Amino acid sequence: MRRKVSAFLVLPLLILLVFTAVNTYAMTEVGTPRRETLIVETQTPTDVPGQFNSYMQGTQMGFGIHQLMSAMMWEMDTITGEQFGEVAAGAPESNEDFTEHIVRIREGIRWSDGEALNADDVVFTFNMIMSNPGIGPSAYYNAVFKSVEKVDDYTVLIKTVDSFPRLALRFGVTIWGNDLRIVPEHIYSQVADVTTFKDSDPVVAGPYIVKAFDSLGKWILYERREDWEYSTVGAVTGKMPQARYILVKYIGDDTTRQMAMVNNEVDILCEVTPEMVEVMTAMNPNIACWYKDFPYATSDDPCSKGISFQMAKEPYDNPDFRWGVTLAMNFDEISVNIFDGVGRASALPILTATAAMQELYYIPLLPWLEAFELDLGDGTTIQPFDTGYALRMAETLKAQGYDIPSDETALIDMFGIGCWKYAPDAAEKLFVKAGLEKRAEGWYFKDQPFTINMTYLADTEAQAGRGLIAAYDQLVKFGFNCNLASESSATWDSNAATGNYEIGGYWPTGGITRDLYAQISGWDANLIVPIGERGAGQGSRWNNAEATRIVQAMSVVSPDSDESYELGMEFMKVATADMPFLGFHSGVKFVPTNSTFWTNYPSAENPYNGPWWWWSCFKYITTEITAVD
Amino acid sequence: MTSFLKNANGRLKAGLVITLFFLFLGFVVYYIPHANPFSYNTYPRRLAPSFGHFFGTTSMGQDVFWLLIEAIHNSLVIGFIVALIGTVVGVFVGLLAGFSGGLLDRILMVITDTFVVIPSLPILILMTSLMRGSATVILMALVLAIFSWAWPSRQIRSLALSLKERDFVYTAWFSGEGTVQVIITEILPYALTWSLSNFMNATLSAIASESALAVLGLSPANLISLGNMIQWARERNAIFTNQWNWIGPPIVATIVLFVGLFLLITGYNDYLSMKRGR
Amino acid sequence: MKFAKYVGLRILTWALTIWIGVTFIFFVPRMFPSDPVENMIGRIQSRSGQMDPLEMESLRKSLRIQFGLEGSLLEQYVSFLKKGLLQFDFGPSLMSFPTPVGDIIKTYLPYTLGLMLMTTIFSWLIGNFIGLQAGFRKKQLSSKFLEGVAICIYPVPYFIVALVLQIVFAFLLGWFPLQSTIITMGGFVIFIKSLLRASILPGVSLLLVGTGWWIISMKSLSGTVAEEDFVLYARYRGLSEGRIGWSYVLRNSIITQVTALAMSLGGVFSGSIMTEIIFGYPGVGTLIQKAILQSDYNMILGCITISIVAIATATLIVDLIYPLIDPRIRYS
Repeated sequence: MRRKVSAFLVLPLLILLVFTAVNTYAMTEVGTPRRETLIVETQTPTDVPGQFNSYMQGTQMGFGIHQLMSAMMWEMDTITGEQFGEVAAGAPESNEDFTEHIVRIREGIRWSDGEALNADDVVFTFNMIMSNPGIGPSAYYNAVFKSVEKVDDYTVLIKTVDSFPRLALRFGVTIWGNDLRIVPEHIYSQVADVTTFKDSDPVVAGPYIVKAFDSLGKWILYERREDWEYSTVGAVTGKMPQARYILVKYIGDDTTRQMAMVNNEVDILCEVTPEMVEVMTAMNPNIACWYKDFPYATSDDPCSKGISFQMAKEPYDNPDFRWGVTLAMNFDEISVNIFDGVGRASALPILTATAAMQELYYIPLLPWLEAFELDLGDGTTIQPFDTGYALRMAETLKAQGYDIPSDETALIDMFGIGCWKYAPDAAEKLFVKAGLEKRAEGWYFKDQPFTINMTYLADTEAQAGRGLIAAYDQLVKFGFNCNLASESSATWDSNAATGNYEIGGYWPTGGITRDLYAQISGWDANLIVPIGERGAGQGSRWNNAEATRIVQAMSVVSPDSDESYELGMEFMKVATADMPFLGFHSGVKFVPTNSTFWTNYPSAENPYNGPWWWWSCFKYITTEITAVD
Repeated sequence: MTSFLKNANGRLKAGLVITLFFLFLGFVVYYIPHANPFSYNTYPRRLAPSFGHFFGTTSMGQDVFWLLIEAIHNSLVIGFIVALIGTVVGVFVGLLAGFSGGLLDRILMVITDTFVVIPSLPILILMTSLMRGSATVILMALVLAIFSWAWPSRQIRSLALSLKERDFVYTAWFSGEGTVQVIITEILPYALTWSLSNFMNATLSAIASESALAVLGLSPANLISLGNMIQWARERNAIFTNQWNWIGPPIVATIVLFVGLFLLITGYNDYLSMKRGR
Repeated sequence: MKFAKYVGLRILTWALTIWIGVTFIFFVPRMFPSDPVENMIGRIQSRSGQMDPLEMESLRKSLRIQFGLEGSLLEQYVSFLKKGLLQFDFGPSLMSFPTPVGDIIKTYLPYTLGLMLMTTIFSWLIGNFIGLQAGFRKKQLSSKFLEGVAICIYPVPYFIVALVLQIVFAFLLGWFPLQSTIITMGGFVIFIKSLLRASILPGVSLLLVGTGWWIISMKSLSGTVAEEDFVLYARYRGLSEGRIGWSYVLRNSIITQVTALAMSLGGVFSGSIMTEIIFGYPGVGTLIQKAILQSDYNMILGCITISIVAIATATLIVDLIYPLIDPRIRYS
């Protein structure tokens, strides 16, 4: 009997030994030479493997599909924030009142089966979207476009229903990608229903085609087109993507991701936490982030994180209350609690302090910000803007042994132009001004004990989640009674629309192009619906007449005009005085790369592009990443 | 008491010592005044263990020792509430169904079976996503308790079914005792041994379920429990940054707590059987 | 006659259980303030910035119609009962619209079933075997040792066991892949090889934690039975210990364990969530988790209905064969 028992224990050990085969790095698990394969992480596996049609819902575009294969009308230089034509040969030529737009199509692009990409494909794609209600944006396209017609093989005439000055901004890439992706007419016109056509062997205009995919949805192997010079990237840049194969793969949870990276099983990870960077760079010298050393992360992701107020509820509708919350928080502590002090302060509501936005809006606004005053309600005032943050944080981090530059411009680039003061006394006055009352047992509002409910999205957005927890910590220390809850994504998104929250870690922010219309158009007060109903935008229900006037004025102004810029500046002043959203940092992204097999990734030293592997601009990065000999 | 100590076996003693130690930590040490352990930046961050901070501090500047004490307290409270509800309801429903038979048995079993066949973790994930803003220890325990009674009651029912046919039960029945009395005098002692190990298991599985939710990021965000403590440490990568003083204590505490409960229960079973005279 | 009545009643119970369970699963997710349409819009917004108000409004309308969320709750329920319960057609997945839920589950179910059934049954066999030894022959060194091992491993939270195995065998030693990669193309041999490589760590981790409870519960059960009069009597009659162990103690304590096994099959779906997350093993667990987080009602219904039907049927079968194992129970 005893022998049998030990057999149970020995058996698994034996099986283990059988598989002790040494794992050589010569080949990838999908059978391609490792040295010719760039391995890129995707953040979510797909449940519908083999589905590459972007007009069938459920397709995981971030699985390399829009990064390597899709054809966009206009692409984006993510460093300068300027658009350039990809399928289009340049910016649209619009008439006086922006209702007719001539779009010229780039010559020299061919589909991967050899057919030329021309105006027929573009016109077909527009009309396909408009005539298929099953395609998500169909109704929207019908509301915007009157007609899309071919003028000649490489010219398209687009007529819009109303004045539409932002054609390229809306239907080209600004952030991440765009839902307008040109499809091959000779394939899609033969399909009975494009919304159920899986397109498992796609014919594409991008530089890579699908070589193989996992029927369980964990990876897709792409191969460079033999005629890559006729692909979009080839036609635009003339450069060849270096990797023969690109394996886009789902790696798993954080623990697995860092182990895979350290073991050189993956070359590029999407987003990690600073704690992971610390471990990975220590264990494998080939791993680096945007910056080689502190602060590692880029602060140029266009979504700043902070806290959102539900302004249809009392007392959150009161700007004095919101300013009270702002001044009750010690931003230095919050900053350390989120990412150990890494990150550019993004104090203005709604607009993210990316490098470009800091130059365009933040720095020009600085004199105004320094002079800005708040009335505390008891006859005193405070100037809440604090320009000392960058220096202070630099000192704190130097004391911890980090190598921090002392040049002021470098510090401002690293930590931003400033934050809001930590002034608990002023905050208390503002809360009193907003109608709250401090008693021995705590804060009261309208004779009821006052509790703040705070929510954040569980498990996916570290910066936003940590920021909200840090804010909770600050408000509890200030003396408020607070609840803290994490929510699953469907609950979170539903509460965002119905306004079912008080203070949430939502991020209705942005800022990538000089024209701010896309960021602020959702703050039009006419979009506000009662709590419990779902409106179009305005989840936080900010009712401000002045802001609304600016949004509406901006909608008919050309995005390239000075007027649009002036209106943007004006909007930021209105928003700052009213504080509808309290910004902490701009989008801080730790994006590690492994230069064991591949090198020349975009980095702070060589910023030929942003480190956005999951955006459609990745195809332009593939031409630069080169093999290590 | 002296005779108990004389008769008690090593396991029972070890189990008692460990369990009492945790009860001491969770319900006595817990009440020693200390700073709110959840609060960030109370102390410098990432301190090594020292006399002032037995287990050092976390990356957020919290004292690990007091976090642990609070976590033990909350996890024990959750575990006990769940186990108590589960065992009491389970034994009651199981015995009632097993002995009454007929329609009552059918109805009770349909209800029980429904709770048995619905997989619990998905429903718990659902439930916790509803509990926003009002997530207290008690509420968390009540949610976990929804699923803790069905299995025990089914097992007790089958135990009852097999006992029902035995001679001594018949004897009692024929001698005129009522069903309830038969259950209490003749059956309950049998069920008791089982219930105690069930209680231990239910305590553990409640703590484990809570941990599973925590690892999925869905346990109430400001509830200091053993599971959440492990999860917070994991989130800040404590495993690979070698902050063992942070992630180690809750794991070790979970394991030792259960070993203690387990020794207690097996030791107690042995003690009972010895007292029964063998 | 009595037997027929018993079977009839039991089958009625079975049907009722499934109906109540499924109804519960239909209504509960819809009671929550979460919404698949808002989630879809939220996901689009969070990756590509703020959405044009006009576009959001039209997208929301078209999604609500497509997802079949327009009718009243009762209408939706009736159509679900007709299609879902009777034909196992749960409609399209909402997170992977318009691919049918059935197609997606079909891809992943074999992997979950294969891994979870194997480990559940093996851990049941091993656990009961060791538990019987430990309960019946308390004094033997080997049973004490094995029980000791069980006590030490059982309390470790599952994800810790899994994590330790992964760190040691996949990261440090490199014997296994960090993430289960199963190669489904390229022939049967490659498939089986990759499947085995991918399954061993998850399997071992599940066995380790699964066995503990069976050892502990079987030990307590058989320990109680071993002190019963009929066992003592068998000893007086001079029957061999082996014989007593197998035909007296085992037969009398295994019934509870068989019921428990039938019911623990319920953990097959939800229990695999952590395994799938840590080892990247393909399966239904993460599908359920994702479906709940994104409010994919149809997917939740599909996965959990299958699970409910499977467990209800397993317990039905156990109940029907009870009297065959334990002659003391009569059909009543």
